[in-house]
Amino acid sequence: MFWQQLVNGLTLGSTYSLIALGYTLIMGVLNIVNMAHGEIFMFGAFVGLLLVTHLKVNIFVAMLGAALTGAILGIILERVALRPLRRKAVSHLAPLISTIGVSIFLESVALKLFGPQSRDFPSSFTAAFEFGPMRISLVQIFILAVSFSLMLVLRFWLAKTKIGKALRATAENIETANLLGVNTNKIIVLTVSLASALGSVAGVLVGLSFNAVEPTMGITMGLKGLAVLILGGMGNITGAMLGGLILGIAEVFSVAYGNSSYRDAVAFGMIIVILFIRPQGLFGSRDQQGGK
Amino acid sequence: MLNSLLNPYYLQIGMFVLINAILGISIYLTLATGQLSLGNAGFMSIGAYSSALLTIKLGLPVYLAIPTGGMASVLIALIIGFPALRLNGLYLAIATLGFGEVVRVIFLNLKITNGALGISGIPSLNVLTGNVLSALGLGDGFGGLSLQQISNCAVLLILFVILVLLLFFTRRLGFSRVGRAFAAIKADETAAQAMGINTTYFKILAFILGAFIAGVAGGLSAHLTFYIGPKDFDYHRTVEIFIFAVFGGSNLVWGPILGALLLTLLPEFLRAASDYRMMIYGAILVAMMAFRPLGLISEETVRFWRTKLGRRSSK
Repeated sequence: MFWQQLVNGLTLGSTYSLIALGYTLIMGVLNIVNMAHGEIFMFGAFVGLLLVTHLKVNIFVAMLGAALTGAILGIILERVALRPLRRKAVSHLAPLISTIGVSIFLESVALKLFGPQSRDFPSSFTAAFEFGPMRISLVQIFILAVSFSLMLVLRFWLAKTKIGKALRATAENIETANLLGVNTNKIIVLTVSLASALGSVAGVLVGLSFNAVEPTMGITMGLKGLAVLILGGMGNITGAMLGGLILGIAEVFSVAYGNSSYRDAVAFGMIIVILFIRPQGLFGSRDQQGGK
Repeated sequence: MLNSLLNPYYLQIGMFVLINAILGISIYLTLATGQLSLGNAGFMSIGAYSSALLTIKLGLPVYLAIPTGGMASVLIALIIGFPALRLNGLYLAIATLGFGEVVRVIFLNLKITNGALGISGIPSLNVLTGNVLSALGLGDGFGGLSLQQISNCAVLLILFVILVLLLFFTRRLGFSRVGRAFAAIKADETAAQAMGINTTYFKILAFILGAFIAGVAGGLSAHLTFYIGPKDFDYHRTVEIFIFAVFGGSNLVWGPILGALLLTLLPEFLRAASDYRMMIYGAILVAMMAFRPLGLISEETVRFWRTKLGRRSSK
């Protein structure tokens, strides 16, 4: 029972981590909370679903398609809602507000396009393996593999490649990075689209694991991602990865050993407590901002 | 003419405008200290549920139940306010958003609140004022108006009086020592503290005032619509309240009121567009931030019109 729940928690948590990574990347580089991330995630889930059901493509192609859609949405988001604000000296809440605007816009567009009802993925991964007391389904293995490899690649990419270093420099200090010859505008666009692509892939994974894709999933999962962002410390990439796993495990255990109907309150109950005890998050230091 | 103007539909819209304007004041008060609190829908639901339950289960009269609902919000605001207001900016916004979500989940699961089904059969203000009016001998209507129309008008008047009182209070507050302290904290919290302003005290005060007014607005809306459910107070409600302040402008109390008025009326005038209401809201938020981040009414607008009108009258 315990091990089974642990695996379930890790699976759920790894999708949370992917969502939270999107928030964290943008937070680290731009110092804003992208409230539209949940809706981009939801669009990714729908695109993946439509690709699988209508074009009958395989799931990897569907994820690629979702990632592309997410990246494009991210670029549009940056153009429409973030760039106009960067030129002016506006209050630090302005980007928060304009991304809330994008999020409710995208949600109602999805309601119009896809309808309010929940849809499901065709079940192609129903096989399951027994490992002693545990029963791990193919979907779970798939989710764990995809999200952990994406996280590893991302870490490596940020740490070792030239663009990754430029991104971290921009996160550290945007003016200095600019002076040192980093095209910070490009880096910002890249960050937003990368974050959105990750979110969209997470959408497909969540759609697979819950077997439900609906326009309102963006809000619930977006809020969970925000919770992880706070839990792990804003702009802290390791924090986002671990925070997601912790939240996933906490949720699954609260359902298994507690009251399942309060499941959605766990995330926010946790961050309210965390914020009061350690406002900088579990893994954040007070002055840490960068994408390290 | 008057008879057709006072149809239930228009009267209902009028009531919603007034309730939303009261909510606009509630968010204005917390924004007056520069704190973005997104918990207003949560406080509204606490007020609405307490007031509804007090009248249904305990038989408390409505005029007592609604302020008690407001006080219940204040109590919760006090409990979460002290730790929450140590946070600033984005952290506070997210923590209060989380608070609203937790409140919603709790109401969704409590037995006494009837879970997802919500509470129906809440004593309605219309019927109550109708009873009072017929006791006064107006049971058959008056001046060609039916009893229902008169009682609806009476409710509208009550709401209007509450709004005017709140407006008066907020305006007076703005010119007082407290209001100056709010403005100082909004301009620069550290500087305000250095000037000897007890920032925590004033931030909590603003937070509590906002919570009280939101709770009262929640109670009023519960007694207007006879039914409340957890869905009425979700994330969308928060965004809706928040957009009043953003659209109208949050520097002056007239801003959120104008925002509430325009944005409640807009979907009614554009019936065809009401399906696209949320889309329009989203676009408004983005456009406002890009072109007029201070909202429709700011201090500069007022100054501009004042000098312009002043010049014209002196010519």
